[in-house]
This record gives sequence, structure tokens and C-alpha cells, in this order.
Amino acid sequence: MSFLRAPIWNLFLRVASLLCTLLAPILMTGCSSQESPHGKTVLYFSMWDGDESMRVIRKLVAQFEAENPDVEVRFVNIADYNSYHQKMMVMYAGNAAVDVAMEDPGHFQALANRGALLPLNQFYENDKTFNIGDYYKPIVDAHSLDGKLYVLPRDIAPAGILYYNKEMFKEAGIPFPDGNWTWDFTERPELREKDFLWVLHQLTKKDAEGKHIYAVTPSWEGNILNNFEYSYGNYWCDDPQHPTRVFSGSADWIKVGDFVRDMEKVKECAPGQQEVSNVLQSAAYQLFISKRTAMLLDGIWTVPQIRKNMKPTDKGFFDWDVTLFPSYVGKPRHMTTGGSGYAIFSSCKHPQEAWRLTKFMAGPVGMAAMARAGIAQPAIRKIALSPAWLPGPNSPLAEQYPQNRIATDQAVSAVIFEPTSEFWPDVSGKIGSKLDNFYNFIDPASTAFKEGADLGQQRLDQVRQQRSLPRFNWVLGGGLGFLIALGIVTLVYLPERNKRYTNRMKLESRSAYRFLAPWLIGLVGLTIGPMIVSILSSTTDWDMIRPAQWRGAGNFVEAATIDPVFWVSLKVTFIYTLVRVPLGIVFALILALLLNQRVRGVPLFRACYYIPSLVSAVASSLVWQKLFAPDGVINGFLYNPIVAKVFPIGQWLSKISETPGKNVNWLGSEHTALSSFILMSAWGVGGAMVILLAGLQGIPEYYYEAATVDGASPWSRFKAITVPLLTPAIFFTLVTGLIGAFQSFTEVYVVTSSGGGPNNATMLYMLNVFNAAFQNYRFGYAAALAWVLFFIILGFTLVQLRMSKWVYYESEGR
Amino acid sequence: MALKTDAERFRKSMLLGAAGLRASKTVSWIVIAAGALVFLVPLYVMVVMAFKHPNEISTTSPWAWPKEFTSDNFREVLSTPNVDFRLLFKNSLFIAVMSTTGVLLSSAVVAYPFARLNFRGKDRLFILLLSTMMLPGIVTTIPTYLVFKYLHWVDTFYPLWVPAWLGGGAFNIFLLRQFFMAIPRELDEAAVLDGASNARIFWGIIMPNSGPALATVGIFAFIYNWRDFMGPLIYLNAPDKQTLEVGLNYFKGLNNLEWGKLMAASVLVMAPLVVMFILGQRYFVKGIVMTGGK
Repeated sequence: MSFLRAPIWNLFLRVASLLCTLLAPILMTGCSSQESPHGKTVLYFSMWDGDESMRVIRKLVAQFEAENPDVEVRFVNIADYNSYHQKMMVMYAGNAAVDVAMEDPGHFQALANRGALLPLNQFYENDKTFNIGDYYKPIVDAHSLDGKLYVLPRDIAPAGILYYNKEMFKEAGIPFPDGNWTWDFTERPELREKDFLWVLHQLTKKDAEGKHIYAVTPSWEGNILNNFEYSYGNYWCDDPQHPTRVFSGSADWIKVGDFVRDMEKVKECAPGQQEVSNVLQSAAYQLFISKRTAMLLDGIWTVPQIRKNMKPTDKGFFDWDVTLFPSYVGKPRHMTTGGSGYAIFSSCKHPQEAWRLTKFMAGPVGMAAMARAGIAQPAIRKIALSPAWLPGPNSPLAEQYPQNRIATDQAVSAVIFEPTSEFWPDVSGKIGSKLDNFYNFIDPASTAFKEGADLGQQRLDQVRQQRSLPRFNWVLGGGLGFLIALGIVTLVYLPERNKRYTNRMKLESRSAYRFLAPWLIGLVGLTIGPMIVSILSSTTDWDMIRPAQWRGAGNFVEAATIDPVFWVSLKVTFIYTLVRVPLGIVFALILALLLNQRVRGVPLFRACYYIPSLVSAVASSLVWQKLFAPDGVINGFLYNPIVAKVFPIGQWLSKISETPGKNVNWLGSEHTALSSFILMSAWGVGGAMVILLAGLQGIPEYYYEAATVDGASPWSRFKAITVPLLTPAIFFTLVTGLIGAFQSFTEVYVVTSSGGGPNNATMLYMLNVFNAAFQNYRFGYAAALAWVLFFIILGFTLVQLRMSKWVYYESEGR
Repeated sequence: MALKTDAERFRKSMLLGAAGLRASKTVSWIVIAAGALVFLVPLYVMVVMAFKHPNEISTTSPWAWPKEFTSDNFREVLSTPNVDFRLLFKNSLFIAVMSTTGVLLSSAVVAYPFARLNFRGKDRLFILLLSTMMLPGIVTTIPTYLVFKYLHWVDTFYPLWVPAWLGGGAFNIFLLRQFFMAIPRELDEAAVLDGASNARIFWGIIMPNSGPALATVGIFAFIYNWRDFMGPLIYLNAPDKQTLEVGLNYFKGLNNLEWGKLMAASVLVMAPLVVMFILGQRYFVKGIVMTGGK
């Protein structure tokens, strides 16, 4: 192969020129135009719908294109709620936003506040075919800000819908509920089926096999509490759009909290959070189908799943229907809700066409199609009362369930949205950090709610403070960036200014730089620029949409003095890293040594140990939750009578997690949650193992042969050959392991649903950075946090490099 | 006499060693196999759920063996109009192959001077190299996006594989540098005396002696790019340009997480990686090709 002999630089020139030929056409085509080849207007359209609803949406869009031959719709589909909002943000900040996008009350405000969305009033006020009055008012209000509508509602989703098992009601001798029931803090047996608590009491029992049957199960842990709180007239704050005061620590909140806890823990009418998340996949409807709960508290969106998983022809089928969550005695009905719709980005170049699409998708046609598929409750009342949504007598048997679908219409008048302020996710995170201990039956409502509300209020006061700051001057910023770049160059080369180079050394240096060229090109072209931008932005208040404002060291001061989780997250991250990395390396080393032997089936075994690193995060997080559940496999071992006798670890763990006598709730207790994640990381040592294995394989066999001939014992061969020759690989896993561990957060993000709970016990540093950037849109602050972490990691790495005398490099003979 | 005792002692120790070796091999085989079972638990749950009816998933524990195997999940996943598996597979494969090639070539090239040559600013450049790993990627996401947008590379595959040709990432460079440094100098000395250039030493001596390390880097690069989620999510827009990892998202709907389908799709996405790993690690045993034992 002749090119192998050519100087490396030539090889690279060749590859580079090949690349250029490949890329040139792309570079020259210029900006992708908004006109399609057929002269049609192209609209980019995005939503977070999954497989089922996308099938409907695809058909709808095809119909729209047929009716509007001048428009071509292109999907930008993400399909996962969390990554959807990230991508929309990045695209908008990069001035490449889509035209029409799905939004919901909890997310549109951040965009609307920044002028990123077009107010829709201008369209519908001039559109005679359109009447906003057709839409349910609560969802229109929830999608409006300061009198302007930004999101055209597609659906509304009240979440105080109770699915009930008619057979269980019959068995208990209770008439089917008509929704006109109430609840009070004490049971009122004289009211019988009109008293919710009495009904719950009657329905809670053991089945023939002795399994506990709950009266009601919420589909997610907060839903039952929120519905009780809302119906008692409690709300999170004073104003959902512009909150100033947090109310969730009030006496009324605590009163309802204690009531719910008593219902769950003492009366066992409803499962606690532990049990809810313990149900496989945390989809509570499965408890309903398998008759483990008489009622399911959920939104109407679960109907398709129940229909699909329990067909009238199935053996286990039972008659079921839906009704409404009770109101508090003497008070109007209130319940939680969700909803969503379509918005038009202000960067859209064809607003009229975009409006046509929006109106079609979130209008009678689109809504009726989604309703027929049972996916979304229409936001237009007329459609919600039409056969598309309400089953008629002629619809197929399977679609007859639930019959009382009209309840969804009654529910709408009672809905209350979660606060929609863009600050709320931040505030709510602080409140929630304390609520975990309430949900896990560790703290009483009085402490958890009070402390949570105080933290939330403190955070709200901080984020509401309007700072008037000077605009960041990007010309000066660019100059500063140039100085930083210059500084780096100086740092690299200044220490060598007095070093004398002979001609031979110069030659070697020049040759080295040819080898370094690809990296240097990438560094200058792709890496350093964004890094410098991020270091500049760490001195600003910047949401990547509005102009950046100069804050000097403000972000760093805020992190150290105001940010409630900064110090906690540093502590958690240090413990996590400093425990996980050494343990991981020792474990990986043992595995590598074992798998380096010539035993039967070794290639397959190596794959087995590496496979957990390939399993998708959702799948493994499910496994972790099951393994670490209070009645999971790990506890099954620890609390096994024999094991418990010999090693009373279980008892000790129960004691330190403040639940003596009960199995330790690994992920639910703030004393064990972090340890659980460190234990989980053991499954991820495959990568380090492979590297060490490669290191072992790289040790020349003849060293061992020579040593054996010299009569060295296996142990002394190991000590004198294996260990020193493996040190370069160990050093590598140590340095990169530390860098990686400091930045890790995916597992915690998935398993704790981004919370870092309970009580911030798993609040890894990167969770805080991530939330600052993509939840609170504070990229300047996130950059500041990231750079603090950068210097911490740099410090650790420099120390390791300084102390790397123990690493033996064969090529240096030391 | 002394000679005889020595020889005898040697033979004895060899015999003992052989028996001990066999015993220790059996013990370690048992340990390895037991550990492997524990490590296969996540895969087991995935596969088992992929073959269960939704009904069964809802009523039984995830550990339970399927009462009745069904391929419905796979059939539905492969037939949905939203995810064209064949196309997405092609996209993922293209990106992963292009990146892996780039990483293998360019990271080795860049690692060579860090391991073998002296040049101006070497130590500090090395720290600069490592430091590119230390800044969390999410704060450079948007500036990097702007760079690629400026190049008109958004919604193309270029942002996903071109950077791999420019050094292949600090992780891989550092890894190869460690392994190159472990190669004895004696190997190049003869070549240097012959007046070989650095390029010749690199191709003729360093690369052939780095089989396990290159296999490791290749496996890692392929898997990393195949599994990459943020890159394709951010840079690719058109549904027909998506990769498998992003396509999986269609089965993670907000309110209708369907575990059977999700697991079936995950198994399909993961299977090539397992094959790839088993193939790739065959190069592990072809360690140093000795050009002359000393």
C-alpha cells in the first residue's frame, strides 16, 4: 500500500481534499430556502406526540396539504416531551426555529415573554370563519398572557377523572357514583355513597388471596394530593402567571396534607408514592385493569390504553366507567388539568400559511380526528359534545367505554392549571425537594410543606428581582475573547521562550505539528470558539434570545451566596465522584484480570459485562427502580432471615434511613439514595474494563516467558510485570473516570425525573447546570456554573498529572 | 548435582502449576459466569418485555418469564409509518461508520506526537487537550450549533461525523497516547537508525503494535456515535434523516409509554452493537506483533 509510506501530512492533505470535494456542494448551496422546488411555501411543523398520535397527525397533514396545494408541511418530530423543549430552545436561539410548534401552558410563557411567539389575536380577529368563543375558556385563558392568545388550544385534559370498576362497587353494595359526591375531613356514614371517604372506606379491602385492594390509585404521586388541595380551595401561589407569594406552606395546605397522608398511610385507601412508583412502569392504570384498585384517578387520555389492554372479549374484562373527583363539602368543584395547543414562532416568514395550518390542526377537523382516536379531549366544546368524542349507541362495543364521557365536559368548568409562570419550574423544584420526604412518609406535612414553601418563597423572591443591567457589548466581548485566546497561546508557549532548540529538535517539533494538525484545526475551528463564548456568557444574564446583559462576577457571586443548591450539589458530587471512581477502577481491574485468562467462553463473557453499558437509559432505569424498590431484589437478599441474622446490614440501613422495622427504601431515603446510584454505577464499569483489558493484552507475552524461565512466581510476575505495564491504562481510567464522574447526571436525571431528590440527596452538580440552562433559560448562569466545575476538574487533573510518577511508561523506561 | 536438583525442582513446580492452574481456572470460570449473569439482568428484562403481550406486562413482574411469546411488539415497531427502521438504520450506520473511521485515523495520528515526539509546548498542549473534556457540553451546545448553522450544516449529517476526523476527541487521543507510550522504544530505534521518517514509524511500528488499543477506540467510537442522542436530536430535523436512537423516542410518548414496543425497538437498536462488540474484541488477542523478542 503505497499511501502508507507517504508522509503523514500528504495523507492528511489527501483526506482533507477529499472531504472538501465532498463538502463543497453543500457549502455553495447556501441557505436552505423556504420555497420548495415546486414553488410551494414550506412550513416546518413540530410536536412531541408519540407513535399513536403521530399516525393520526400524519393523515391530518396529508389532508391539509391536499386542501392547501400552495403549502408543503415538513415535520420536525422529536416525540419526547423533555427533549422537545430543549430542541425548540436551541433552534430558536440559533435563529432556525420551526414555524408551527406544539406548546403547553407550562412552557409557552418563557417563549412568549421573550417575543418568540406571535400573538394569535391578529389572525383570528380578522378571520370571519373562526370564533375563539367556540373554545373552552379555561384553556384559552391558560394559553393567554396579558390579554393575548399565544397558543391555539388543541386539547384540554382535566386530571380529576375517576375511573371506577362497576363490579367492585356492586360487590360492596354501593350505587354507581354520579359525580355528586363530596368529601370532608371526617367520614360521614349517614351520607353513604354521597360521602367520598365512606366510599373509600368500603372499597378498601383484601381480596380472596389476601392481597390488599386500594380504593383509589392516582396515576402519578402528586395527583391525589393536588386534587384534594385544589378542591379544598388551596392553590400553590397567589397568581398562576405572575406569582409573588407561595401558599403551599399554609395551615390549610398542611391540614389537607395530613388528611391525605392519613388516608394513604393509616387507612391505606390509596397507595403511597412508594407503591405508585413501585407499580411497574409507574402506569397506574395497570393496577386498575388487574383489579388491584377500585378506582383510578387520572386524565381521560388513559382511555385508549385501558381499551386496548382490556377488550370486552377478554377474560378478565369488567364493566367500568368514569366519574368526577368529589368537591369539598360546601365548596365549588376544583380539579387539576393539563392541555396543549399549537403556537406560531415569531420568526415564521409565512404567518398566514402558518395560521391556516394551526387553525386546521387545532380546529374542528384536527380535533375531531384526534377525538375519534380517543387521544385528546377536544378544546372546542361543540366537538367535545359531538359523536367524535362521545360514544353514540351505534359505536362499536369497545368504544362504548366509558359511557359517561360527558363528565369530561362537566370537568372543564372545574379545572385549575398549575402555575404557568416561567419561574415556576424553578420555584416548584425547591418546594418539591422537601415534598419527597412527605410522599415517602418520612416527614409530616407540617414540616415538609412549611420548609418547602419557605424555600420556594425564597427562590421566588430571588428570581423576581428585576435587575437593570447594562447591555453586554459584543464588540468588547469579542476583544476580550481574543485576549483570552491570546492568553491561552501565551500560557502554552511562554514558559519555553528561553529554551534552546537544536536544529534536530526543531525538525522534530515541526514534524510533530504536522501530526497535530487535524486536532489543531478542530480546536481552532470548532472547540475553542464555543468555549470562549461560554466563558464570556458566564459574565452575563443571557437567555440566548434577548440581548445579553453584563453582570460581571454576579453569576459566580450568586452561585456561592444565593443559589440554594450550589453547595449541596458540590458536596453530593464530591462524595459521588470520590467514592465511585476508585471503587469502579478496582472493580474494573478485577474483572479485566479475570477476563484476561484463557478460559472457555471468554469472548462471550466480555460482551456480557459490557452489555449494561449498551442498554438504553429508560430500560436500565426501570431495572434500577425494581432492584432498589423496598420489596426489590436487593432488599429481598438483605432482609432474608438468614442473611439478616449473620449480617444485620438491613436493620442498620432501616435505622439510618429513619424507618426502623421497615425495609429500607433505597431511592426514597435521603440517607441511602446517593449510595444507590454509586452501586448502580457498578453495572457501568464495562468501559473501564475494556480499556484495562486492552492494556493487559498489550503486555508482550515474552516478558512473562522470560520471567517464568527465570523462575518468578505468578505473584511476583504480576507485581513486576502486569502492574507496572498496566499503569498507563489505569492512569487513563483514573483521569477520564474523574472527569466523567464529575459531569455525570443522566442516571439521576432519568431515575429521579430530574429532581435530584429526595431532599437534594442526589442533586449532582450537573443537574443544577442542566436545570439552569434548559428549565430556567439562564444560559449565562449555567455557563458560570459550568466553568466553576471546569476549574475544579482541571485542578484535580493537574494534581493527578503532577503525581503521576507511579505510572510506568515503557517507552521512557521509567 | 545442583543442576539436577534445579531441573527437578523446575519440573515439579511445572506439574504443580498445571494442576493448580486447572483448579484455579475452574474457580474463576464459575466466578466469571456468576458475575456475567448479574450483568445480564438489564438485558434480560429488556428482551423478556419485548416478547410479552401488553396485558402480560401490566399484570406480571418484569422479572417473570413470558407465559406466551409474541412477536407483535416487533411487528408493530417495524411497521409503524412513523419510524422507517431500514432508513434510520442506514442513517445510524452511515454516521457511525464515518465517525469511527475518522476517529481511528485522526486520533492515532494526533496521539503519536504526544506519545513519541518532543515539540514546543507539549506539556501545556496536552493539558489543553484534556481540558476540552472538562467543560460540560450543554453550555457549548448553542454556540456550536451557531457554528454549524453558519456552515449551513444543520439538517445534514456533517456535524455528526466531520468533527470525528479532526482529532477524534480528547478521550480517544489520550487513550491512544497512553498505549503508544507503553510500546518499547527499542522497536523504533532500529527504524530510526535506518533513517525512517516519523510517518514510517507511525504506520510501520506504532499502529501494527496497537491492535487492542485501536480495537478499543474503534468499539467505543462506533458505540458512542450509534447511541448518541443529543447530536442527532439537535442537528437533524427531517424525519427521514433521524437516527435509530432518536427514533426510539416515538415509543416514549408523554402519556402512552408502551413498554412492549419500546423494549422491542430498544432491542433492535442495541443488537448491532452487541454483534459489533463481539467482532471488535477479536482484535484484543492479536496484541503486540513482535518483530523480534529480546
